Amino acid sequence: MANSKSDSQNLLPLTPAVFHVLLALAGGELHGYAIMQEVALHTDGQIKMGPGTLYGTVKRLLEARLIEESDERPDPQLDDDRRRYYRLTGVGEEAVRAEAQRYAQIVELARGKKLIRKPA
Amino acid sequence: MANDFNHRALTVSQQIYRALLRAYPRGHREEYGPAMAHLFRDQCREAWSEARGWGLTRLWLRTVPDVVNTSVAEQLAAFNPRKSMSDKMSALFRPLTSPSSAFFTAFIAVFLLVLGTSILITFILPESYASTAKIRVESDDAKGASGAGSKLYDPYFIQTEFEVLQSQLVLNPVIQRLNLQVNWGKRYYNGEKLKTAEVLVLLKGRLRLTPVRNTSIIEITVYSEDRHEAAELANAIAESYRDYRAKAHAELVSKGMAALLQQFAEQETELRQLQARTEDFRQKFKIASDAVAIQASAEQPYWELKQQLEQRLDLQRLLTAKIDAAKLDAQMPRTLVQIIDTAEPGRAPVRPNKPLDIMIGAVAGGGLGLLAGAASALFSARFGGRGRKPVAAG
Repeated sequence: MANSKSDSQNLLPLTPAVFHVLLALAGGELHGYAIMQEVALHTDGQIKMGPGTLYGTVKRLLEARLIEESDERPDPQLDDDRRRYYRLTGVGEEAVRAEAQRYAQIVELARGKKLIRKPA
Repeated sequence: MANDFNHRALTVSQQIYRALLRAYPRGHREEYGPAMAHLFRDQCREAWSEARGWGLTRLWLRTVPDVVNTSVAEQLAAFNPRKSMSDKMSALFRPLTSPSSAFFTAFIAVFLLVLGTSILITFILPESYASTAKIRVESDDAKGASGAGSKLYDPYFIQTEFEVLQSQLVLNPVIQRLNLQVNWGKRYYNGEKLKTAEVLVLLKGRLRLTPVRNTSIIEITVYSEDRHEAAELANAIAESYRDYRAKAHAELVSKGMAALLQQFAEQETELRQLQARTEDFRQKFKIASDAVAIQASAEQPYWELKQQLEQRLDLQRLLTAKIDAAKLDAQMPRTLVQIIDTAEPGRAPVRPNKPLDIMIGAVAGGGLGLLAGAASALFSARFGGRGRKPVAAG
């Protein structure tokens, strides 16, 4: 655990694209199109990942073992078996958690400087 | 038909995207190509359902730069395999700031964008078939069957007939005969019956008239997405024009005949009166009917009247001859318009011209790509630095 935490700390800061993909997978395993939709939803449509960016990111996240491919299907009857599902690994979860924490600290810092207010 | 069109637009987009996947290294393509194609298919459907053609265009405007950026990054990564996580991550996200790579990226992006757009438009555009009917036309002034009349050269004859061919006089019977108001209303306006004027505009837009040089032959070409309809329309227009000219000529002959007959009748009346007056004078001067003219002052009025009578009789004979000639013309109808080639359904679509459109797209893309590449390289050389590393070194 200590090692994985150390590994994840070394990866920070994550790029927005990587962070958003990991954040999307934090809710559970998803296929490529669902990741893309989730990212678009989280960013109010500001980030619309193309297939090249998405699968380039996925490839590198797989190589870095931040995510892994899942063999399970939520409902094999309803789902297209050509879809590939991905989920976070332990290291990936640590990384996204650490990055979120880093963002939270930045937000706190900004609040301390009265740049932003707490939501009502 | 609309569903076919939708299906084609989406299918063609997916085919183009699958072709673009060849820009990626083989390993990446084999591993992720099917998933990327599948994701793009989902994006196409979503884009189409959101805003149809415009949605698809916006998707392509996002996708082409995505393909360019990531395929270049993957190719570079394939040439320089990195071991560490941070190197792999940064390889994907590091901005390409050297002038040569900036030029290359901008050139490829603009080239593919323009080429892809031209390919997309070319394949999305509905296919159109052309059918041509050929007619030989003759002016009404040309020499008739009876040999009467004179052949006058009219330099504006063909241009005038082009206007006649596109006029309501010729096209309205075609619209009525082929029931285009209903048929095109069903096809293009959800079953709403069109006005004749609306169909006329559509029909004129599909019609092209071409003179064959140094002949009196006109080619009537009609374009339609249905190859049988194109031929049917071209033939119908040729027949309608032929019928119109025949009817117009018959009216012309009929009016000419009426004028001649009226003139004949007037001449006949005057001739009778003149004959009666001449006879009165002959009896008054007691001149024999077979007497020859004598220059006697007392009988002079009689001889003058007789001369007038003979002139009138000559005129009457001339009118009779003209009437006979006109009757002969009417009995032997002239072929002012002859359909020399009927239109046949085309075998292959003539529009869009795919090779030409794609070539224009490639040339335009290359030109614009060079400009964009040069601008990008210049910008990079002036303001570019080493890219930031988004992920900390491991």
